[in-house]
This record gives sequence, structure tokens and C-alpha cells, in this order.
Amino acid sequence: MSRYLEFDGIGKAFPGVQALRGISFRAESGRVLALLGENGAGKSTLLKIMSGDLQPDEGRLLRDGEPAVFSSPFHAIKSGISVIYQERQIMPMMTVMENIFLDDAPRKMGVVSRKALKRQTQEIIDRFGLPIFPTETVGRLSVAYQQMVEIMKAYRRNSDVIAFDEPTAPLTDTEIAILFKLIGELKAAGKIIIYVSHRLTEIFKITDDIVILKDGQLVKTVETGRTDERELIRAMVGRDIGDTYSELKRNDVLGETVLDVQDLVTDVVHGVSFTLRKGEVLGFAGLAGAGRTEVVRAIFGADPIISGQIKLDGKTVRFKSPRDAIDAGIALCPEDRKEQGLVLLRSLKDNISMPVLRKIRRAIFLDKKAEVDLARRAVEKYSIKTPGVDKVVVELSGGNQQKVILGRWTSDKMTTKVLIFDEPTKGIDVGTKAEVYQMVCDFAKAGMGVIFISSELTEVINIADAILVMHNGHITGKVNREDATEENILRLAMLE
Amino acid sequence: MKSGRKFIRSKMFTLLLVLAVLIVVFLILSKGSFLRPNNMKNIVDSMTVVSFLTIGAGCLMISGYIDLSVGAVGTLCGILMAKLLVLGVWWPIACLLTIAAGAICGIISAILVNELRFQAFIATMAMASITQGFMYIISSGQAVIINDAAVGKIGSGVIFGYLPVTLVLAVAAFIIYGVLMSGTKFGRDVYLVGGNPEAARLAGIYPKKISYILFFNSGALGGLAGMLFAARVKSATVTGIINSQFSGMTAAILGGVSFGGGAGGLGGAFVGLLILNAFNNGMMILGISPYWQTFASGIILIAALMLDYARASRRARSKLA
Amino acid sequence: MNNQSTVRRLLRNKTVSLALVTVAVVALFFFLSKDGSFLKTRNLRGILNMVSVTGTVAVGMACLLISGGVDLAASSEACLGGILCAMLLRAGISWPLALFLAIIYGAVAGAINAFLANVMNIMGFIATIGMSSVYTGLAKVFTDAKFISVNDKEFQKLGSSAIFGFVPVPFVIMLALMILYGFMLRYTRFGRRSYMCGGNPQAARLSGMSPNRTTTVLYINCGALSAFAGSVLASRMHSATATAAQSVAIDAITASVLGGISFMGGSGGIAGCFVGLMLLSAFNNGLNVVQLQSYWQLVAQGALLIIALCVEFFGERARLKALKRREP
Repeated sequence: MSRYLEFDGIGKAFPGVQALRGISFRAESGRVLALLGENGAGKSTLLKIMSGDLQPDEGRLLRDGEPAVFSSPFHAIKSGISVIYQERQIMPMMTVMENIFLDDAPRKMGVVSRKALKRQTQEIIDRFGLPIFPTETVGRLSVAYQQMVEIMKAYRRNSDVIAFDEPTAPLTDTEIAILFKLIGELKAAGKIIIYVSHRLTEIFKITDDIVILKDGQLVKTVETGRTDERELIRAMVGRDIGDTYSELKRNDVLGETVLDVQDLVTDVVHGVSFTLRKGEVLGFAGLAGAGRTEVVRAIFGADPIISGQIKLDGKTVRFKSPRDAIDAGIALCPEDRKEQGLVLLRSLKDNISMPVLRKIRRAIFLDKKAEVDLARRAVEKYSIKTPGVDKVVVELSGGNQQKVILGRWTSDKMTTKVLIFDEPTKGIDVGTKAEVYQMVCDFAKAGMGVIFISSELTEVINIADAILVMHNGHITGKVNREDATEENILRLAMLE
Repeated sequence: MKSGRKFIRSKMFTLLLVLAVLIVVFLILSKGSFLRPNNMKNIVDSMTVVSFLTIGAGCLMISGYIDLSVGAVGTLCGILMAKLLVLGVWWPIACLLTIAAGAICGIISAILVNELRFQAFIATMAMASITQGFMYIISSGQAVIINDAAVGKIGSGVIFGYLPVTLVLAVAAFIIYGVLMSGTKFGRDVYLVGGNPEAARLAGIYPKKISYILFFNSGALGGLAGMLFAARVKSATVTGIINSQFSGMTAAILGGVSFGGGAGGLGGAFVGLLILNAFNNGMMILGISPYWQTFASGIILIAALMLDYARASRRARSKLA
Repeated sequence: MNNQSTVRRLLRNKTVSLALVTVAVVALFFFLSKDGSFLKTRNLRGILNMVSVTGTVAVGMACLLISGGVDLAASSEACLGGILCAMLLRAGISWPLALFLAIIYGAVAGAINAFLANVMNIMGFIATIGMSSVYTGLAKVFTDAKFISVNDKEFQKLGSSAIFGFVPVPFVIMLALMILYGFMLRYTRFGRRSYMCGGNPQAARLSGMSPNRTTTVLYINCGALSAFAGSVLASRMHSATATAAQSVAIDAITASVLGGISFMGGSGGIAGCFVGLMLLSAFNNGLNVVQLQSYWQLVAQGALLIIALCVEFFGERARLKALKRREP
């Protein structure tokens, strides 16, 4: 059993981003180490390096002083390192027992013994006290139980080092209690545990040491007992963030209602109603999977609506496709920039002109000069850092990519009335974040209604005029700017 | 000066260079007969039919799809036309019906791919099997002779004394589709859908509509190609242009159309087609057995795909830089 | 009560319901055929002979599909395998060695496919289509588009002798292979791995498996089994040609998909593949026996593949719907 796992000067670069730089710290046996940081601070990258999924550009991992090189997850697992990822790594078509044991199923003379497999799985399930069966298909379990299967998988491997990447996000309080008890047991057994989470209360409950990352750098290591919430937040967010918000030039003149949604029902959304006024920034908060993205996608015509009424400028509308929504004046900056927002291998100008191609035509041909002008204006307006409008967007940084999408929806060929942002600051650096915040306020000032979805509570609280909190497909409450605190939003978001 | 250097670095230049080298090599190896008029005619004949398939496959691949049934569809269409002519249908109507039949086959593939979410290759493979069955049923496996003079003229006639009609049609098609793809909204939509269908949809483009149009187009062009082939050889058989969809795809990929979609163009595809044909014809003129040509066609397809992969990974590398 | 639910559960099982469909199809053709010639020994033996070659390829194909790969070159690998075997026999090499070498060829072909798919990152289906031209070309070059006869009496026995008078040896071999591979998929570590690599390659990788290694083994396996099937065919026909096994690849895929093996990988099993195979051949042969033009077989082949994929599509949709209902 190893006594400690040391990160020694780890550095890693991705296209356009230095994800990690000179990370050095030590995780010790029998202690729980919290890895803390905002989205995009580099926690996930660090976990991936630890699990052998990524190789560091510089630095190394040490176990008890011996360098440990993992060229693939296989090597990391074999040497006793398990990482439970945020994105569940399950095989939905297989049973619980098959998922827990994978290819390490108990064997008799080389042949998998289903009996032993079932028995051993049942033992683990009992230990966790869960109401599931070894032979159930994992794809039919709820998200929370799927997550528990993941955790049981790592538990079964009996690894020396276990890392949890935001394990509690989909779990209920009882499940969390079970998990924490288990983590306590693992800790007592002398395992090295790394625990990644946003939730500060959890951190104080179960961890012993805290390492804080910010923008890919280590900003603080501290023992949990010797710090408090305020200090942690300051370290995570950086001292300038408060100033960023106070310097925002906000809009304070609200106009009439522009968007009115009544009883919206889809596969995932159950009866959501709200109104949005001109010049208003309406925040949406909630945990991952609460249904925020689904609400805006349904409004935008991207997902089918089962029932409900949407009024835009007082007129009832029902969009069959995003095209209809765009023509009516709704624009969506989607959650996943690379998967849903951009055509990565096309140029900046192609990505900006996408929705307005039909307006920049001469006869049947595209007016390429008008297109270039359109793109140039966007580059100037948002000071996008690019050598030219023909640059392929994959080569731009995250922040500039986000600006390209903004440029797309706010070009002078568009008449956007409602602008929807879904996690617009995910994975972009602090400087650009501040720019995005100001832009959001500017759009509101220009008279647009803005919907702002974010998982970073400080962000929503400081940007939005009012915040709708969602849980499990329902709106559980509306909090006005004056009353918004992390506590009362979280309480609504985790309503059980 | 600067644009000259840019041209030398471009993909097009490399392609033209390869073509020139191929021509010179075959010219030397064949002691000059490679460029003799009657061999040129051979090249033109074998090229024109495939050129329509190259266009169809090229556009479809740029949008991220593939149609493996075109050869079978084209062959079926050739037989269909011959049968219609035998039945005494006036030739323009017969031609139109034939192309429409090809287009319908394309639409069926599009339904399977879009509505039932089949992978394009397996859906179109099944379509190929079905159309192949129908072509045997219609023709009973026998060749159908085409006697219609007008149709014969389309297939093997010349204008201005030496320009084959089919060549004119093929070049015109390349120009029209080339302009369509590079200069119009529709063409741009095809590239955007091929690059990222979900992003395109969320930006107000209809990926489904694009895919239907392109399958329709590929089927219709397949029908046209099968028809022209039958018209040229003055009979329609069950072997017709079967499997030549692979030539079309190979030519397009050789010419820089990305197999994964979103990149490449018809100009490149045209040069790819010339390269492929120069190569095939060169082998023929050197007296290499047609069986080795089957062998070579596989090798060239694999080579083109490797080239495509190399291009993609170079793009990925430039991403990291 | 309990009995009833067992019946219902059995009916829900894809393989069982498919088997029932197969029985229905067989019965249909039995009544349609003149004086029941469909179930006459001679015809049955014909079916079994046909099935055994396709089935042998289908075993390899099924495993490959489960792991997320596909080999469209299986037909040409079978043809060339048979031809190589025949050529080696003609060159005077003893039949076990000739057969062995043909299988080695298949394994090499599979390794090339795996290289193209895994190392060169070319999509499996198009890479194998390309290779299929290569092998077909070679097959034609070797045979000059004629046939090579197989005169080795011992070797002929492999394909044309029968057990109990009417069960052909190739069929017995195929059954043995199916049982062996079915067992492998269900009960061994490698089998587990194949499902996982097909079901979610990324998760499999992060769980310490190597999806590429697994599919490589299965590509090689599929190539080897195809070449073996081609050799068996050559032994039964007493000759090898470049077109003998032309449609086995698509037949094998159709049988697998009919039998519930998902085209996306990760689900299904050999038992289903076997029933799918039976249904496919009952259909093909039945069309023959009821004296429909044999050309309809081609149509039926494509139509069956489409139907199988439709079943998969609607099944998956129903599954997703059920899942959504279950979550509040």
C-alpha cells in the first residue's frame, strides 16, 4: 500500500489553453484531499492525468517517492488508482454485476462464474444498502443509482487511490450519507482519497486537506480545519472577481414582457411557466440535469414540446425548428460550444454568417464581400483576437469562440429579441468572463430579453435581475436579485 | 508572386502535379499511345459516366453521408430505360422516368437514414441488394438492346465534330455543381451540415432537408449515369455500372473530399477523377489484366482514405500548434 | 400465475420470439411448397449445407459486430481463402496444411483490416470495402475468372460427408463453432470485454481495457473464420471460384442483426445469430422451393436486412420511452 501520491510540477496544454501549469502537491494515505476550483480551473484535467487518460506535458507523478508513469488507464488501474468521473462510464446495456466487475469477474478455471458474480455483487450492494439487484440492466436505473454503480465499481477494485469527481451531483441526501460513510471507511482503511466538489459544505464535512486550483495553477494548499468558507471562495474566485461584478454597467430600465411561457411540458420538463421582460436578465440556476437546458431548447424549437403556450411579444408562437425561432427573434448560445455551437473546421466568417446566409445573397449567389464585412464588424465589435476572418474557429481560444457565437446572433442582419445563454462562461478564462458579463448587460441595455443559465452560483447571483431555480424538471422558486444568496438558491435547487 | 506561392502550397497543385506525373509516366511506358486520339476517347468514355457518380458521392460525402447503392441504382435505371424504349415510350419521357426512378431510390435511402436512423452505409447496402434483385426481375438477367437513334446519339454522339455529348454533359455538371457548392447558400449549408449537423440545426439550417436533397440528387445522378452508360453501349445489362459508386467515392476522396464530411470541393474531385481514370487507363494500355485493376481499385481507395486521414490529422496538429 | 409470467417472459425474449417467427416461416413454406418438398430430406440437407458456410462466417461477424467493428470483406476473404486452399492442394500440399495456410491467410487479412480501422482510423466498413476489392482482384488473378478444381478425395470429404446420413459435417462444424464462441462471449473475460468495447469504447478504455486490442483480435478471428468457411465451401463444391461466396458477408450481417445483435455494438449473442441465420436461410430457400424467381432472393435479402434494422430501431425507441416513464 502506498503512503502518498505526489504531483510534481505537472503541466498540460490544450489548443488555445494552458490547462495546467506547475501543479505540485501531495495526497497522503488515510486522508481525504479536496481538490477545489471553479469550472475550467483544471481539476478534471488533473484527474485525467492521474488516471493515465492524458499524459502530462511536463512534471511527473510520484508514489512513495517512486516516479509512476501511466501510459493508459489500464496501467493506472493496475497500479491501484481508480477515478470516478463526472460523466458516467457505464455500459447501459449490461447488468449491474457486469458493470461492477467488468472484465474482472470471478472465474472458475477461466470461466466466468455467474453465481459467484451475482453473490459478490450482492455483497457489495448490501454494504452500500441500496435497493437494486445484481441482474438489473444499468440503463434502466435512475441517474443516481447509475452513479452508485460507478462508485461500487471503484470500491470493488480495492484501489489504493480513489478519486471522486463531483460524485454527489446527482445523489439524494440519503445516498450522500451512505457515500460519506463509505468514504470514512475507506479513509480508515488507509486509502488515499481525492475528492473533487463545488459544494463547500461537503468539503468541510469530509475532507482533511484542501488544494485549490485557479486557471490551471495551484493557488492554495491548506488543512481543512484551519480555514473557512470565505477564505476558500476568495482563493477560488480570486480577489478581482468581486470588483468585476461591481464594475458591471447594469441595465436598470425594464420594458414590457417579451417572452411569456406557460405550462411548458416536454419529456423532461414538467409544467414550467415564467415571463421575461425587455431589458431583463433572467437567471436559471439548478443542478446538472435539473432541466434548464431542456427548457430553453424547447422554447428555441430544438426539442419537441408536448404541451404549453409560448408568447413572443404577445403573439402565441409554436416553433417547429430552430429556424422558426431564429426568424421570430430568439437566439440560443448552446451549452456545448464545440458540439452544438460551432462548426469547428470552418472559418470564423462561415460561423458568423450561418443563420443569415439567406440575407446576404445577390441573385442566387452568396455575396462573399457582404459576408466578410459582416464578420469583420463582429470581430471589431467584440474584439475577437484573430488574424483574419478566414481563420478556422478550432484554432481560436475558448473565449474567442464564445464571442464568435455572440457575433453570429447579434449581427446587424439579425433582429434578436430574446438572447439565451446556456453556460456561456464554461471553460473560458477570467478576463474573458468579465467581458462576457458586460456583454450580457449591454444586450439587456439594448432592449433584449436575456436568459442566462449558469451552474456557477456567484455568477448568476451577480448578473441576473431575477433567478429561477429548477429541480427535476420543475421551477422550485424565483429569487429576486436583492434576496439572492448561495444558500437560498441551493436549498431550492436540491429540494427533496 | 504571392498568390503563385500560395498556389504551389495548395492541395490543388499537388493533385495536378500527381496527374501530370502519371500522364508523363504512362506516356513514356506506352511509347506515346497514351495520348493518341482513340485512347483519349477511351478515357473520356470511361470517365464521363463515373463523373456523375463522383459529383453525387462528393456532395453527399461533404454533408457527412454516403450512398453505396448508386451503382446498382444506376444499373437498374439503365435497364428500366431500355425496357421503356422497347415498350415504345418516347425517348425524352423514358429518360425522365429513368432519372426519376433513380431519384426515388435515393429518397428511400434518405428515409431509412433520416427517419429510421440507420447508418447510411448499411441502409444503402440493403438498397443495393434490393435494386439488384429488381434489375434481374425486370430483365430476367438478359441484355436489353437499345435501338432508339436519339438515345444512341446522346450516348455516343459528338458535337462540333469531335466533342462527345457525354463529356459536355459531364463537364457542364461539374461546373454547375461546383458553383452550386462553392457559391450558393445551399452549398454552404451542405458544408456546415457536414461539419457539425447539430450546430447547423441550432443555427437555423435544416440538416434533414439537406440530406434528403443530396440523397435525391445522388440517386438521380446515378440514374443519369446508368442511362448514359446503357445509351453508349446500346444495351442494358445487369452488370452495367454496378460497383462504380466506389470509383466515384475514390475519385472524390482522392480529390480532397473528406470522408467524414465538411471539407473538400468538386474542383478537387474533378482532378481526382482525372487521376483515377488516367491510372486505370494507363494500366489497361500497358496490357495489365483487368483483374489486377480490381485489385488496384481497392488499393487506391485505401490509399485515398489514408491520405484523408493524414490530412485530418494534419489539421488536428495545426490545432495544437 | 407463475406459469403465465414465465411464458410471457419467454415471449419477450428476442431470441425465442424470433425462433417462433422462423418456425412460422418454415410452416408457411411447407404448405406453399408442392407436396411439402420444403421439408424433404434433400432440401433440408441443401439448407444445412448453405447455412453452414454463411453460419461459419456469421460467427466471426457476430463477435466483430458486438465489439463495434464490421468486416465487409468477409465474402472476398472466403473466396480467396477457398482459392488459396485449392491452389495449395493442386500444388501437392497435404490438405490439413493447405487448410491451415488458407486460415492463416484469413487471419492476415483480418489483421490488415484491423490495422486500417484501428491504426489508420479509417472507418471499418469503408476500409473493408476497399480490401474486398483487393482480395477479389487477387482471386480473379489467381483463377483467371475460371474455377480451380479440388481433387483431393480426403479434403472433399470435409465438405461433403454427412453424419447419420443427412447432417452435413460442415453444419456440425458450424454448430460446434457457434457453441464455442457463444460460450466464449458469455463466460470468458475476453467475451465480457468484447461487449464492453462495443457498448461504450470510451468507458472501456477508462476502465483499463484496450478496445483496439479487442477488436484487432476479433477482426483477425473474423478473417480466419471466413477463409475457413471458403475452404469448406471449396471442399463441398469440389472447386473454388472468385464468386463462390459472394454474398456471405451481407448474409452474415443480416443474420446477426436479425438475431438481435445491435449494429452499434455491445448487445446480442450467438444464440440470436443462429436463429437469425435459420430464418434467413428458411426464407431464401423457401422462395426457391415455392418456385418464385430466384431473383426475388436478392430483394428478400435486402428487405430482411432493412426489417431487422427497423426492429432494432423501434425496440431501442421503446426502451428509451420505458426508461423515461420510469424516471419521475
